[in-house]
This record gives sequence, structure tokens and C-alpha cells, in this order.
Amino acid sequence: MSASLAAECNEVKERYDTCFLKWYSEKFLRGNAQTDECAPLFTQYKTCLNKALKERGIDKMLEDAREDSRETDIEYMKPSGKS
Amino acid sequence: MKIFQSTTHYNYDWEHVSTANWQKYSPWNEKTPHVIAVDTLSRHVDPASGVLRTERLITCEQNCPKWLTAILGGDSKSQVYECSYVDPKSKTLTLCSHNMTYADLLSVRETVVYTPSAHNPESNTQFTQTAKITAFCGGWQKIKNKIEQFTVDRFVENAAKGREGFEMVLERAREVFAQERERMEMSQRA
Repeated sequence: MSASLAAECNEVKERYDTCFLKWYSEKFLRGNAQTDECAPLFTQYKTCLNKALKERGIDKMLEDAREDSRETDIEYMKPSGKS
Repeated sequence: MKIFQSTTHYNYDWEHVSTANWQKYSPWNEKTPHVIAVDTLSRHVDPASGVLRTERLITCEQNCPKWLTAILGGDSKSQVYECSYVDPKSKTLTLCSHNMTYADLLSVRETVVYTPSAHNPESNTQFTQTAKITAFCGGWQKIKNKIEQFTVDRFVENAAKGREGFEMVLERAREVFAQERERMEMSQRA
């Protein structure tokens, strides 16, 4: 797995990434994504990451960056999907 | 504005490629040391479409030529924002990204799509990559062109390395899956 930009988050990130990869290949791709057992790990990882983003001032930059994803959301999350 | 485009095929099925995509910048990839961190910011399955939406923050460290750092400022670390969409029904993985650092001076917007290849959808995956590169230094056409050209050249270089590196990840992931399967079969027999 790849590292986190904040070294102190690496351990929990590694555990979350491993969990996600298993969920993605074994559940999501098989149409079985109703449950997400990785949610508690993701919450832990996000708590660590958000603190690091704030300390580095990246959280502000992210707000602007996120604006743009509204357009792509509309394009790529059509309810029917591409057939 | 300059546009960079490339299409290539991977000799693996879409499920394998889309899974390995999440490990693209892992230590298995020895070709992209400029990507130093990949963090997941948010992730959810959209209830209406069934699409998995993921936001990631990609941190790069790249040696820039002196003339460019003089214009853009000294920090060698840069951040890229990526929003991706996986539609498991249509088997489409789309990754949209743009630069956060130097965003006032330069815009690099990339869209990558992974879908089953038309000629061999069961065992081949098509990769298409489009990038739009625009520099905004008003009036300085010469500098603007130079920055755009440098960015395109770097993009071409990184795209080639990205492909080579991803091949390493795909191969390694296949080995690990095979080992895992063998282990499971062994334990079931025991």
C-alpha cells in the first residue's frame, strides 16, 4: 500500500486500505456492497488524516478543489449508469 | 492549452485491473517514486446509481527545472485532488484529477477511464488517458508556452513510467491472489 502524507497515520491507513481492498474485490465487485465492515477503520484513519491536513493548511486548498467534482458527479453517477 | 491523450490495453480482466488500481502507487510499483503519498479523503456507494465514489489526495515530489521553480515558487511537494467513480454494472472506472498546487498559474486536468476492451472484454482492459494543460500567466505567451510544453513533456514521461509501474503491480497482485487461493484450497482440504 502507499504511504500517507502524515507518517503518524500510516499504521491505521494500512489497516484500512487492506480492509477496503478485500471489501472491493470480494463484495463490491460481486454486487454485495450493502455492508461496509471497513467503516470503523476509515473513521479512525480520517480522524488522524484530518488533523494532519489542518496542521498543514491543506484543508483550505481542498475546499476549492472539491468544488469541481460537482460536475463530474453529475456525469459519472447517473442513476441508470452507462449501459 | 495543450492536450495529451493516450490509449493502451492491459492483458488482465477489468476486475483485476480496477482492484489493482487502488494499489497503483504501492511499493510494488518501482517506477513512480515521484508519488510519495496517496490518502483517501472520502468514500461511499451512491445509493441511486450503485457507483462507488472516492476522493483521494495524491502527494508528489518532483524535481523541477530551476527556471520553473523560479516562476512557480520553491516547494518541491505538490498535491493532486482526484475524484473517482466505479460503476460495477457497466464495468467502468473513471478517475478525474487536477492539480491543487500552483492552481493559480497552471491547470492540469486529467481523466482516466478503464473499461473492458472491445476486442477481448473478458480478459483485456482498455485504458484511456486525457489531460488538458493550461498555463495562466497573462501576456507572457512565450513563458506560457514554455510552461505548457514542459508540463506536457513531464506528463508523457510520467505516463510511460505509470504504465510500466502499473504492469508490475498487476503482475504482483496476480501472484498474491494465486497464492491466497492456493492457501484457501489447502486449508479447505485439511
